[in-house]
Amino acid sequence: MTRALRIIAANPLSLTGLILVLAIVLAALFAPWIAPFPTHNSAVVDFAYANSAPNGRNWMGTDLVGRDIFSRILYAYRISLGLGIVVLIIATPIGTIVGLLAGYLGGWTESVLMRLVDVFLSIPPLVLAIAVLGVLEPTLTNAMIAVTVMWWPWYARLVYSIARSEREEGYVLAAEVIGAPTTHIAFREILPNCLPAIITKMTLDMGFVIIIASSLSFLGLGVQPPTPDLGSMVAEGARYLPDSWWMTVFPGLAILFAVFGFNLLGDGLRDVLGADE
Amino acid sequence: MTHLLDIRDLHLAFKGLSGLTEVLHGIDLSIAAGERVALVGESGSGKSVTARIVLGLLQEMRNARVTGRVAFDGADVMTMAQKDRAALRGTEMSMIFQDPTSSLNPTFTIGNQFAEVMRRRDPKLDQAACDARATEMLTEVSIPDPGRVLANYPFQLSGGMNQRVMIAMALVNNPKLLLADEPGTALDVSVQAQTLRLMHDLVEKHHTAVLFISHNLGVVREFADRVYVIYRGRIVETGPTDAIFHSPGHAYTRALMDAVPRITGAGLPAVPEVSDDFLAPMVRHDGGAS
Amino acid sequence: MSSVFRILLRRLAISVIVLIGVSMLIFAIARIIPGDPARIALGPNANADQIASLRTEMHLDEPIIAQYGYFVADVMRGNLGQSLYTNRPVTVDIAEFLPATLELVIFAGILMVGLGLPLGILAARHRGRWPDHLVRVGTLLTVSAPSFVWAVILMLLFAFYLPLFPVAGRLTDSYEIARVTGFLTVDTLLAGNFSAFVDALHHLVLPSIALALSGIGQAARLTRANMIETYDKPYIEMAQAFGFYPTRIARRYAFKPSLIPSLTIIGLDFAAMLGNAFLVEAVFAWPGLSRYGVAVILRKDLNAIMGTVLVIALTFLVVNILVDLLIAFLNPRIRHSTRASS
Repeated sequence: MTRALRIIAANPLSLTGLILVLAIVLAALFAPWIAPFPTHNSAVVDFAYANSAPNGRNWMGTDLVGRDIFSRILYAYRISLGLGIVVLIIATPIGTIVGLLAGYLGGWTESVLMRLVDVFLSIPPLVLAIAVLGVLEPTLTNAMIAVTVMWWPWYARLVYSIARSEREEGYVLAAEVIGAPTTHIAFREILPNCLPAIITKMTLDMGFVIIIASSLSFLGLGVQPPTPDLGSMVAEGARYLPDSWWMTVFPGLAILFAVFGFNLLGDGLRDVLGADE
Repeated sequence: MTHLLDIRDLHLAFKGLSGLTEVLHGIDLSIAAGERVALVGESGSGKSVTARIVLGLLQEMRNARVTGRVAFDGADVMTMAQKDRAALRGTEMSMIFQDPTSSLNPTFTIGNQFAEVMRRRDPKLDQAACDARATEMLTEVSIPDPGRVLANYPFQLSGGMNQRVMIAMALVNNPKLLLADEPGTALDVSVQAQTLRLMHDLVEKHHTAVLFISHNLGVVREFADRVYVIYRGRIVETGPTDAIFHSPGHAYTRALMDAVPRITGAGLPAVPEVSDDFLAPMVRHDGGAS
Repeated sequence: MSSVFRILLRRLAISVIVLIGVSMLIFAIARIIPGDPARIALGPNANADQIASLRTEMHLDEPIIAQYGYFVADVMRGNLGQSLYTNRPVTVDIAEFLPATLELVIFAGILMVGLGLPLGILAARHRGRWPDHLVRVGTLLTVSAPSFVWAVILMLLFAFYLPLFPVAGRLTDSYEIARVTGFLTVDTLLAGNFSAFVDALHHLVLPSIALALSGIGQAARLTRANMIETYDKPYIEMAQAFGFYPTRIARRYAFKPSLIPSLTIIGLDFAAMLGNAFLVEAVFAWPGLSRYGVAVILRKDLNAIMGTVLVIALTFLVVNILVDLLIAFLNPRIRHSTRASS
């Protein structure tokens, strides 16, 4: 662990990623204490300061009803990160189990499970999530469900391809020869070899979930106002371009920084863990 | 005595995280025109890098530092412009690699790759002329159906076939020097012996000089006129093949010879990782010591 | 050539299975909708009789398997039902809006391949030096923001601050172009109106760049990684030993073997643009499938939602089949395999 940290710290890009991610996680955790206007995460109005450009009081300006953009971004990070963590915690085990079974057992299990995965992968990810949200009510919980539905197949495919090649390795054969039970081989022998790839993918995917979730709320299909979300903030502000540019540019850059951080860190982890894509 | 290839006091070091690591500590080696010379040693002894320096490949690597003199056909490869060095490769000198199948590009046909090599010498050659000459060369390496082979991709041919193709390709431009880096080690023994025999006859016929790099003394004995034994970046012994085989002078050479499997032998003797005797100097060959 | 044909057949067979699965998935999504579809279709003012008769018409009282059967039978006949939003057949709506989306996606795809691959080659050739670092950081940035963020930023910079490109739409209003294919770059040329063609291209620039940016980054990163792997192969050293120039080695000997494994993912990225087009269209008021899609979703217009998703899935499958064929064509190992690939 310390060795991993040292390798990441030695690479300026990975270190930047680590710092960005830590900063964003801390900002999200302590938003109520850091935000200059902690009440602005709800439907408050402050018309005296409405639509003001960035200044000493509101570093990133205010929106049409005078809420502080910077404070709202901090709260929006809580939503984005929370959604990302929930989605990955649910989707990763599902995908991993499906991929592991298909890859190790082969035969009919493989055909059925992987065709099922193919079906999910044949609809562009965003469109699948949009369709699921289209029939459900657009709420945070349903957004999580929609993104989870589109997410698990990617883990299934990743784990499947590793498990299928590991199946042929000597250590698996050795375990089979001594009569180890199937579940032991799948979960205790093969799974540990998939972990580096899974962990790397989860780090990179935190960024990608943030992109998808903000895209959904940009289309009005995710988190509903007045709860602040990066995507809906950009959508709202886009109507007042170019005059009130700060309403779109700062939430947009907030997405960019968060995702960039996770991507840099994920790239660094891939080097440390030696996982291929 | 004029040499086709003359290497004097060649040093090579790699820049790494922990500073410079010297790999070659002053090598002297020479080859006359048409002469077959073997460079023998275990893996990591520095034999492959020597060949890559002759080709001028290592000089272009940013983390390699090469010093010394490498004269090829009267010109100094070390001081040459990068472009001139590249111009020698594939025309005046060429190389054969260890694993023939993975050394040929999997996405082009053999005929296509032949044509590319031939156009190194004469860019204006048309496909028909290239095919005709390639067919001629493939016949020389005893490939039965050259037309079919030219239309094939490397993965459609056996390893032995690819080995012959590579020999033909390396000789098609009539180079003065052929560098062979453990040719055929990836093949099975009988195929390897066959193709080496073929290569021996061909270079003799075309009067091509060869620097033959190997760890296998048995193969070297069949092939080379003269032998250099290299150990840990130093030449420890040199001489005509027969002389070396009859009376190896250096402790390391003797250890290497004991490592050649013999039918009557009692298994493989171990070559010790290192021994003080191995590091003892024996000869600085033909005038190399100044 | 016959093995390419065999691959096509195999691929089509798999696609049929996948398509059946997709139709089930879409049908299932449509059935998890909370509430009675007939009531939603008729609106809050309908009486019980009206709802009952529509339920019969929509086969809602029959077993779920039978309902799926009716759905498939309709789809096979090219009948995707009526849209509640436009009161027209869904097929007519899709035919009207799909070409604009496809035109945008195709242009973005050209940018993705045309810029992504050369950038990847450049980075791999200069591995560890400044062009590589520049490309790596640059591409990582482009993949780190959703396309609507790039759309907004590009619009702000190049439509408002530097008014080089139009802010919205596909064509300046003053042009009247007869609709033939629905692709304006084609229709304007068919009409012989060259200035309208230039105008249509002019409108395409910002949206297609916004849509392509993350794809360019993906393609460049992938190409770089595969090129670097290829550079370690013995046949590259052999090419060096035969004195070929570094540019030629990069473009000819290293690029082709590394392109083949990249293509599948590039195909997936290309198809993913069909989804991201929703975001870019929203920013640039592009009259494509997105505006229709979002409108029908907000109105819970089931037929239209299912039809739109089905058409997008179908396009996605077609793109993947084409990519597989291209790979089979480029990869001699597949083209010349004597046995049917497993």
